[in-house]
Amino acid sequence: MDDIAVSFRHVSMAFPGVLANDDVSLDIRKGEVFALVGENGAGKSTLMNVLYGINAPTDGQVFINDREVTEFSPRTAIGMGVGMVHQHFMLVPSFTVAQNIVMSREPRRWRVFFDNAAAERQTRHLVEEFGLEVEADLPVEELSVGLQQRVEILKTLFRGAEILILDEPTAVLTPQETDELFSVIRRVVRERNMTVIIITHKLYEVMAISDRVGVMRKGKLVGVRDTAQVDEKLLASMMVGRPMLYDHLEKTGVPGREMICVRDLVVRDNRGLVAVNGLSLSVRAGEVLGIAAIEGNGQSELIEAITGMRRPESGSVTLDGRDATGLSPGQIRAMGLAHVPEDRLATGVSRDATVADNLLTGKQRQRRFNRFGFHQRTSTIERYAQELYEKFDIRGAGTDVTVGSMSGGNMQKVVIAREFSFDTPILIISQPTRGVDVGAIEFIHSHIIDRRNHGCAILLSSADLDEVFRLSDRIITLYEGRITGEFTGTFSKEEIGYRMTGSRKDKEAAS
Amino acid sequence: MFETILKSVFSAGTFNQMLRSATPVALAALGGAMTEHAGIMNIGMDGMILMGAFFGVLGSYLFGSAAAGIAMVLLMGVIVGLFFALFVVKFRSDEFIIGTALNTFALGLTSFLSRSIFGTAGTKGNPALPTVHIPGLDAIPFLGTVLNDNSLFIYLTWLLVLAAWLFVYKTPYGFWLRASGEKPETLRTAGISPEKMKWLASILCGLLCGLAGAHLSLGQLQGTFAEDMANSRGYIAFACVIFSKANPAVAYAAALMFGFFDAIGLRLQDYISSDLTNTIPYIITIVMMVYVVVRSQRRKRHSSKRLPEMQT
Amino acid sequence: MMERLKKRRWGYLLSLVLSVLLAFAIGALILLAAGFDPIRAYGAMIGGAFSNARHVGDFLEYAMVLCLTGLACVLGSRVGIFNVGGEGQLLLGAVVSCQVGVWLNGLSPWLVIPAAALAAMVTGGLYALLPGFLKVKVKVNEVITTIMLNTIAASLCQFLAKGPWKNANKNMVAATERLDPRYWFKTLISGSSLSTAIIAAVVITFLTWYIMQKTSLGFEMKLTGQNPRFAFFSGISTDRLVIVCIVVSGAMCGLVGMFRVYGVEHLYRSSISNQYYFEGLTVAMIARYDPVTVIGLSFFFAILKIGAQGMELSAGVPNQIYLIIQTVIIFFMAAENGIFTSLRTGAMRRRARADIRRKEEQEHV
Repeated sequence: MDDIAVSFRHVSMAFPGVLANDDVSLDIRKGEVFALVGENGAGKSTLMNVLYGINAPTDGQVFINDREVTEFSPRTAIGMGVGMVHQHFMLVPSFTVAQNIVMSREPRRWRVFFDNAAAERQTRHLVEEFGLEVEADLPVEELSVGLQQRVEILKTLFRGAEILILDEPTAVLTPQETDELFSVIRRVVRERNMTVIIITHKLYEVMAISDRVGVMRKGKLVGVRDTAQVDEKLLASMMVGRPMLYDHLEKTGVPGREMICVRDLVVRDNRGLVAVNGLSLSVRAGEVLGIAAIEGNGQSELIEAITGMRRPESGSVTLDGRDATGLSPGQIRAMGLAHVPEDRLATGVSRDATVADNLLTGKQRQRRFNRFGFHQRTSTIERYAQELYEKFDIRGAGTDVTVGSMSGGNMQKVVIAREFSFDTPILIISQPTRGVDVGAIEFIHSHIIDRRNHGCAILLSSADLDEVFRLSDRIITLYEGRITGEFTGTFSKEEIGYRMTGSRKDKEAAS
Repeated sequence: MFETILKSVFSAGTFNQMLRSATPVALAALGGAMTEHAGIMNIGMDGMILMGAFFGVLGSYLFGSAAAGIAMVLLMGVIVGLFFALFVVKFRSDEFIIGTALNTFALGLTSFLSRSIFGTAGTKGNPALPTVHIPGLDAIPFLGTVLNDNSLFIYLTWLLVLAAWLFVYKTPYGFWLRASGEKPETLRTAGISPEKMKWLASILCGLLCGLAGAHLSLGQLQGTFAEDMANSRGYIAFACVIFSKANPAVAYAAALMFGFFDAIGLRLQDYISSDLTNTIPYIITIVMMVYVVVRSQRRKRHSSKRLPEMQT
Repeated sequence: MMERLKKRRWGYLLSLVLSVLLAFAIGALILLAAGFDPIRAYGAMIGGAFSNARHVGDFLEYAMVLCLTGLACVLGSRVGIFNVGGEGQLLLGAVVSCQVGVWLNGLSPWLVIPAAALAAMVTGGLYALLPGFLKVKVKVNEVITTIMLNTIAASLCQFLAKGPWKNANKNMVAATERLDPRYWFKTLISGSSLSTAIIAAVVITFLTWYIMQKTSLGFEMKLTGQNPRFAFFSGISTDRLVIVCIVVSGAMCGLVGMFRVYGVEHLYRSSISNQYYFEGLTVAMIARYDPVTVIGLSFFFAILKIGAQGMELSAGVPNQIYLIIQTVIIFFMAAENGIFTSLRTGAMRRRARADIRRKEEQEHV
């Protein structure tokens, strides 16, 4: 058949300990937008890495335009017309746009020299041809994320791609950038008859852009449908294997006194830019305040400033009536705060330490774990770790393996177990269930609400809006470091989504 | 007195000495720039220089000609580079451990072989590299004395600096080399193996450090080998690489500066202990490093353009 | 837990033994190539260390130096800072402690020796403070600064020994005044370098091991080294801890310098240390920064080194063969992970493929 662009036949891919792709057979047609959906770790990226030649499959065959792939390498894949835009951009930050685009196919002068002028010329041609506006001579590190992605797409087009793979392309984009991306996709498909494969886990995007959709679960392809014939609900249930039905969370009690009070806080990010811009908020005991914001709008810096991970530029943070501005995490924790950080691997655990050590961390100076205040009581620590391990339903090979060897979900449970067991009146929680499987999400959510019902003041930030809706008593929307809206009672998804993209009611009222 | 000091410091002799001190450091720094661009922290240059110094003299001693010495150095340079890459690139060993071990290994091997072959005193007076006289250059008053009648490699170094600079910044291979250090996955997804670039960088580094050693033993010291004669030059070269951000031209300038301080240390010996003036280049290196780091941090803070999120 | 740890332990021991054997084999090839009889040379080497009481004393003293410097290195690496500057800290500690003994000449040894020890520790500690501060506050790579500081310290000590603190004897070119014999540490085996300093060394070794392995402070150090961001997040003052650790590491090195002066040389000259810290650091690397392994390996390498010197005298083989063997062991140990990983992933791929085949065959049946 000559209308098939890519054909996977019984492809299996095994990594040490995991079967990432399990006997996948799939045909993708020429000129269609094919969406590949599934939860984290379902094997979508692995399958696409096979197509792009980064991994050779353990078993099975791959055909591109009816030619069997015999040698798996990016070079061969590129030669067969496959281009891939990775989730993490494959761009050299210090090189210019043109230098990145022509990489590995550099125009040359006198056979050995790089012809920069020609590279920029070719880039401009490409820009005009596809209408993807970008400056050829700017270093990539000075471009916005959306523009960098555009450079990635141009790069694949430059290499003559007919089949374009986009790995979670919208994860880092603003809604406007997402719209632009989608119109680019539509244009290349329509005008060039390109085949686009888009990996995502955002179902509304599947509905918006794709012609057909394939659903993966635990390494298996569980179904392929025409997008027109499915809805988000059906896709969601295919993804998780059962209809997503959350139990009702019982919220009890009334908010008590003010536990977290932030006034006119200004915080700079790693680049020295103002990320939190004169923000004020307060959280009371027995209340969950949810932050709804697109990544990179100051929520990370706000939380880091409250928890002492980052020094605020100006403004104040008061915890339970005491000033906590600019103190160290140690001092702030001593005031009764625990913190589930957004970046589990970098901040939340020590991968090389055992589960027991990770659970003990922060309590190592407590009397019960030390004789004479310094000699560690090994058996008490063991027992304590075992206790938490069971209480928080951590599943793995015991408390004595390194945390790095565990799955993301169990790692997160270790973090939750440790932080919740401080039993503090204040909890700051970021991304509590990122990369965590459905069962564990339910478990973590009920624990959060349990803490709330016991009078804990909780500040919650999550990229998963449904999670924020489900857990919060109040929601604030952040845009570019400022609060753009506050919601209580029943939340309107549309309204909150609108505020997250920077539209302020008071601004509209003023105009 | 002050005037005499100034006169002796800024004499043609000082600048000639500067050139001579700088050259072995500069050659090694060129090699270090290659590995640095490929993302390898190369502490092992001292050992590579020492190997070059020894095998240059050995070749010269065995075959009775400096050219044979250089041939031996080039061969050993490739072998040492391959050896370094085998561990650092192939086995992904810690660069610092391998670098340190390479230094000690080179010290042990060259001293062992030197004692086995030449006896404890080392060797001298083997066929050496020629000095080059450029006719007419003497006519220029000050520069003529400084630049003329130097050992062959001093001139070769100029060519190599230019070649290295062109290679790194003006050829596709240089782009690949830098990409292999800055963002190797980029190169891999473009169908070029970043490992291959790292191997190449290691081999080039082995070669250039070998030439640095050969210049020391066969050029500067006219066919002499003494134990541990690299004398921490590899570390100075490393400092030059760090300071120059691996730009070959800037690295050469940094090496010249080191050479200058070395030279005035010798001139001022009568007034101040050379043990103290010897420390100046190292102190400057530390100050330079602090300066480089602080400057780059400040630049980052003041950049108002939107940068991509850190990806770890 | 024990089982898993034991397994890792055995794996480590196995690769260590293999590395040592391979290193000796390679050493033998080099010896053969240079025209020596490897069996005779190695015999002389092992025999050299135990041939008489003096050699035994010498290797015990050297084991002490390796152990203390190795542990000083471990102390830094435990919190994630690599103190390469121990050599400079050692030299400065030696020259200052020696001069303190010269200045205080005439006072009771009970006063002079503690004062000298304190001076050595303060000097070494302060000299380590600079790279520690630069690493923590300015984020300057400590490996490079400490390497530079080593050379600076060596020149500085030479300057002091040739200049202001010079020996009055014109024949002594670069050496300080000799200490009064009543300040010397008692020699334990006559004719050897082994002195009562070893008692202090044993105590320090035990304390270092105890603090790192058994206390809550050691736990915090370990966390800081493994993931400083996590340690800071959990409430540990990581900056302070890192600085304290490198300062203590420097103080230990300074003290080793003092031991060398008061136990062996009785004055300062450059032979007080011949890159001893680097050998200690090498031991720490081979031991993978495990304190107990450092202690064990210190004896092993001390025997080799002193044996190699004996071998040079008795068999005429240059003792540098010891450096070659030692570094080849490092090469193998550093590459061990890489070699095993490439073997293991290959095996795993094959096994995974076989599993799938088997499954398919079953399905077909």
